[in-house]
Amino acid sequence: MNPLLSVQNLTKTFATSQGPLGGKEQRFRAVDNISFDLAAGETLGLVGESGCGKSTTGRLILRLLDADSGAVFFHGEDLVPMGKKALRPRRRQMQMIFQDPFSSLNPRCKIGDIVAEPLLIHGLATPATARGLVIELLATVGLNSDVLDRFPHEFSGGQRQRIGIARALALKPELIIADEPVSALDLSIQAQVINLLDDIQQQFGLTYLFISHDLSVVEHLCTRVAVMYLGRIVEIAPALELYRSPFHPYTEALLQAVPRPIPGRQHKRILLQGEIPSPLDPPPGCHFHPRCLYARPICRELSPVLSEHDPARFAACHFAGEFSRNHG
Amino acid sequence: MTSPLLTVSSLKTYFFTPRGLIKAIGGIDFTIAAGRTLALVGESGCGKSMTALSILRLVPEPGRIVDGKIFFADEDLLRLPTTEMRRIRGNQIGMIFQEPMTSLNPVFTVKRQIGEVLELHRGLHGLEQEEEAAALLHQVGIPDPRNRLASYPHQLSGGMRQRVMIAMALAGHPQLLIADEPTTALDVTIQAQILELLSELRRSRGMAMLLISHDLGVVAETADAVAIMYAGLIMEAADVEILFNDPRHPYTRGLLACIPRLGGERQRLVPIPGQVTDSMENSDGCPFASRCSEVMPQCRHHLPPLREVAPQHQVRCWKAL
Repeated sequence: MNPLLSVQNLTKTFATSQGPLGGKEQRFRAVDNISFDLAAGETLGLVGESGCGKSTTGRLILRLLDADSGAVFFHGEDLVPMGKKALRPRRRQMQMIFQDPFSSLNPRCKIGDIVAEPLLIHGLATPATARGLVIELLATVGLNSDVLDRFPHEFSGGQRQRIGIARALALKPELIIADEPVSALDLSIQAQVINLLDDIQQQFGLTYLFISHDLSVVEHLCTRVAVMYLGRIVEIAPALELYRSPFHPYTEALLQAVPRPIPGRQHKRILLQGEIPSPLDPPPGCHFHPRCLYARPICRELSPVLSEHDPARFAACHFAGEFSRNHG
Repeated sequence: MTSPLLTVSSLKTYFFTPRGLIKAIGGIDFTIAAGRTLALVGESGCGKSMTALSILRLVPEPGRIVDGKIFFADEDLLRLPTTEMRRIRGNQIGMIFQEPMTSLNPVFTVKRQIGEVLELHRGLHGLEQEEEAAALLHQVGIPDPRNRLASYPHQLSGGMRQRVMIAMALAGHPQLLIADEPTTALDVTIQAQILELLSELRRSRGMAMLLISHDLGVVAETADAVAIMYAGLIMEAADVEILFNDPRHPYTRGLLACIPRLGGERQRLVPIPGQVTDSMENSDGCPFASRCSEVMPQCRHHLPPLREVAPQHQVRCWKAL
């Protein structure tokens, strides 16, 4: 079966801005030759630490940013070379949910208008017929019709995120790219929104690309997980297997770094030394080698390619799965 | 038993806003013994950060501490003159905040900012000051500390900035460190490094810590005791093991049930229904009553007291008595 979305060798470079005193412009690769497929109905988690390129990847897929090279096939059509006009009907099928519910809703618009806007823009409703659809959408996300004439500032973070989700659902998209949708929410509200995302996926058969730094949330929601480091995918695998026995040393270190709500747990933690190197000057060979416990000479010289080590389990490591691990 | 390092009793901090009175802290009591770590846990607006600011007497306008006592090493901080309070802040009580970028001055070098603390609180100058500043950076794990002294905050990564903040907080040799969400803005691998650093420093210096956090994982791994706050009140307080293994308050149970756990069974999460009620709507009942799954008629009219249900375990709930 053809995947709904197929990302192939996608690359995006950014230039550092020139300072007021001139200074040399430098380019760096925010997204470095990444490829993955997304099947209809699945949830792929895209995880990694800040600056790894996960949000840029989401924006490239939606063409909110233009890629330098590579392809994004959606229903078998490459979106990258498409003009604005050709893109518009495809955009209807792909929607985004943002992290910050405080900055992603126009503070001067009423909730009813915010949710109706995509319907009007895409000609799916007239101002007269929109109201009924909006009420239905709001009900789907657990909000009453009495919110229609209120403004974003009157709502809490969790309610605003519900409004953002209602807006994303308005066009009946197939693919939703959710960029840290619950990170800004309080714990008790976070669980409500996670369950809502679960429910609407069932109800509308949605496919999710779920971008997050929170490994616990990703494990809960995702069927597959891709781990990014300095613009590259270092591992991609079914969630259950990736969490149980990671193939890439970075994945292993990430999982062990997550604090668990179990007091007194004596766990062996691999404490990663050092910090994420600057993307302006990434280390040669495997980007992770300066922090890797298992690095050998070859890692400094040769960049490992993402390859399949077990069925459906891809890792970019010269010694993927070889290092001995005792998880638990 | 020796008297605790910090004793907060019946602390009330109110905000007098044009819209009305907000009881940010509605009367809380807790103690921290020397060398121990207490975590204040709760969701945004529960009063946990305001508790820290109250202890430091840094409550912003239009807020005011209206009642209570805060004893630190047998001195009532609320009765000290401002000059004395300034000596204690940064000297005996150090503080670190969530966002190191906004707590460091962007136009001064690291050397100047740490130097200021060393000069004010320890009277160090010149070469001596520089030596001590470099030693502090070394202690918090900053590589090449001498060269780092000349850096400006924007030249440092988030993790390094937080290390500089910690170095500044340690400069006065504090007995108590107040850490308000110290790792929330950091990536998970850097968070692990900072938590490790904090616990090592606490061990080596015998320093007590008031940790403010919403992250139950961080709390479980860092704290000796935990107080759960909701709407300006402590709902449950216990040693960390007791709190996580035998939570008695419905809110604590709700919090523990609603977080996805790494490696856990993939079950549907059980959220706490509703949302935090506006603290402007003051009622006499339990503030959690409207969201509580075990609510009883009396909960809506009478606020339960925080009572000891077992040794080292206090709960504010009619059900738990």
